[in-house]
Amino acid sequence: MTVSTTSPPPARSNTRITGHWWLRAGRWSLLINRRAVALNLVLLLVLAAVSLASLALGSLSIPLPEVIRALRGEGSPVTALVVTELRLPRLLAGWVTGAAFALAGVVMQTLARNRLATPGIIGIDNAATAFAVASVVGTGVSLAPPAMALTGAACATALAFGLAGATGTRGYRFIISGVAIGAVSGAITQVMLSAVPLDAANAAYPWTVGSLNARSPDALRLLAVGLGIGYLLALGLRRPMAILQLPEPVSTALGTRTGQVRLAGLALSVLLTGLAVAVAGPVGLVALIAPELARLASHPGRLPLTASALLGALLMTVSDLAGRLLLSPLEIPVGIITALAGSPYLLWLLLRQSPDINR
Amino acid sequence: MTDATMTDTTTAPLSARHLTLAHGEHTIIHELDTALPAGQVTAIVGPNGCGKSTLLNGLARIHKPRGGAVLLNGADIHALPAREVARRLALLPQETHAPEGLTVADLVRFGRHPHQRWLQQWSEADQRALEQALAAADVADLADRPLDTLSGGQRQRAWIAMSIAQETPLLLLDEPTSALDLGHQIEVFELIRSLAGQGKTIAMVVHDLASACRYADHLIAMREGRILRAGAPAEVVTTELIEALYGVTCDLMHDPASGSPVLINLRRVAR
Repeated sequence: MTVSTTSPPPARSNTRITGHWWLRAGRWSLLINRRAVALNLVLLLVLAAVSLASLALGSLSIPLPEVIRALRGEGSPVTALVVTELRLPRLLAGWVTGAAFALAGVVMQTLARNRLATPGIIGIDNAATAFAVASVVGTGVSLAPPAMALTGAACATALAFGLAGATGTRGYRFIISGVAIGAVSGAITQVMLSAVPLDAANAAYPWTVGSLNARSPDALRLLAVGLGIGYLLALGLRRPMAILQLPEPVSTALGTRTGQVRLAGLALSVLLTGLAVAVAGPVGLVALIAPELARLASHPGRLPLTASALLGALLMTVSDLAGRLLLSPLEIPVGIITALAGSPYLLWLLLRQSPDINR
Repeated sequence: MTDATMTDTTTAPLSARHLTLAHGEHTIIHELDTALPAGQVTAIVGPNGCGKSTLLNGLARIHKPRGGAVLLNGADIHALPAREVARRLALLPQETHAPEGLTVADLVRFGRHPHQRWLQQWSEADQRALEQALAAADVADLADRPLDTLSGGQRQRAWIAMSIAQETPLLLLDEPTSALDLGHQIEVFELIRSLAGQGKTIAMVVHDLASACRYADHLIAMREGRILRAGAPAEVVTTELIEALYGVTCDLMHDPASGSPVLINLRRVAR
C-alpha cells in the first residue's frame, strides 16, 4: 500500500540517507556507512603501526627494517627468533583476545541496553578463570583450559540469567547477580591457588591476572576460529540487535524475534569470552572500554562491531607493549595495565550523568 | 453488547475472538470479542486500569493471549511469521525512547526493517517509503536532527513517520497524544485522520473521551476488561455510558460543526 497519493514525494533522491554509500545492482542493495569505513581504516592503520612497534621494541630492540626482514624469513637467526618465535605469536594472541573480548562486550551491552553489562562485570571472566585454574592446578578435572573456561563462562551466565528471573538480560538484576557470581568465582580461584603446591599455583598465576605470557597454541587457534565465526554471526545479528535498542514492543512490532536474538547474542558473548579467557585470563575491561570508544567515534545508534573489535585488538596490543616496556626487564601482566588504565574510565562512566545508563 | 461483535471476525483486518489476556495471575481481559472496521479509526476508551492498553498490546501480538486468539485477516496472529505480521501491522507504544543522538531519518529507516533482507539493505522502494513517510508526518525538514533535540510534538510525529514507513494496512497507537499540548494533540489526531483517509485501518487508545468522539469513527468503551459498548461515537456515547464508565454524570451536546458528542456539566456521582 502506498501511503501518499495526495502529496507527491520530494523529487530529490538519495538525500535522506546522508553519510552512506548506497550501492545498487539489480535487486541487491547495500548501505555502507562512510564514517564507519573511515574509522575502521584509521584503526587498521594505527593497529598496524602499534603492531610493528610491538615487534620491534622490548628487552632487545630491533630496528624496523630488521623486523620486516625477519617477518619475510630473512635476517639473522637471533632477530628471527625474537620476532617470529617470541613476539609475533604474542602479538597475534593480543589481537584475537582483544577483538574477542571487545566483540563480546559490545554485543552484551546492546542486548542488556546497559553499558555496564559486559562479560567482565557480570562475572563471566572470573568464572571462566576459576574453571581454567581448576584444570591447571590439577583438581582431578582433566579437560583442557579452553573447554573448562567455556564451561565456566556458560555456568556463570546461566546462573546470572536464572537469578535475574523474568527480567532476563535487561535491568540491574542481571548485572547484580553477575557481580556476585564474579566475586564468588574470584574467591574460589584464590582458595584453589592457596591450597595447591607453589609450582602448580605459579603455573596458574597468569590466568588470575590476565597475561599474554602463558598462551597455549591450541587455545589460541581455537579462539581464532571462534572469533571468525563469532564475528560473522555478529554481523548477521547486527540489524536485529540495532533494533533491540528501541523499546521492546517496537522491536517486536518491527518483526524482530527479540527472544531468539537475545539468546543468540548471549551465546556469542559467552563463547568469545570463554575462549579468550582460556588464552589470556580475565582482561575483561577491554570489553568495557573498546565498545565505548567505538561508539563515541561512530554514528549514533549504530552498532560498531568492527570498530569495537579493532579497538579491542589495539588496546590489548598497546597494553601488552606498555607492560613489557614500563618496568623492563620486569614484565607487568597485560591485565594489570588494562585495570590501571580502565578503572578511572569506569569511574568516569559511573559518575557521568547519562540518561541511557540507568535503563 | 451486540454492536461489539457486529463486524464479522473473519473479514475484519484485525479481530479478537474470546481473547483472554493476563499479567501473571491477574486476568486483565476476559474472553473479549471485537473487530476493527476496515479503513476506519477506532478509539479504545475507558477509565484507568480498564485494560485498554493491554487490549491494544494483545491485538499487536506484544502480549500473548492466555486464551482465545487475535486474528489478522482471519488467521491466528501468533501462528504467522514475525516479519509477515510486521509488514501488515505497525504499533506505536506509549513509551518511546531511542538511543542518544539517533536522527529522525535513522529512526524512520528502522520502519523498513520488515521489508529488508541481508543483501537487500536499502531498495528504491525503501527510499520512496522513507521520503513519503517523512513528508506525510511533516518531519522532512527535521530528517537529520537528533530526536533528543526535538519538541515532544515533533518527536511523536517522527515516531509516527517510522510506523508510516512500515507501509502496513494496520496501525495501532497507544495514547499517541498523551504528553502533548493541545496544538500538538490536534496535529497528531489530524495526521491519524489523514492516514485513515488513505485507507489505513487504525486503532488507538485515547485517554480523553472528547477527542475520541471527535476523531474516531468507531468507539470501543471498556470497563474492567470487558467491552461495555462499541459503535459510532454519536450512537454509543450516552449519559448512561459515561456514568457506567467513569462514575460521573453529565449532559450531552452535539458539536454543531462536527456533530460529535460533547460532554458538559460534569459532576461526580456519589456512590
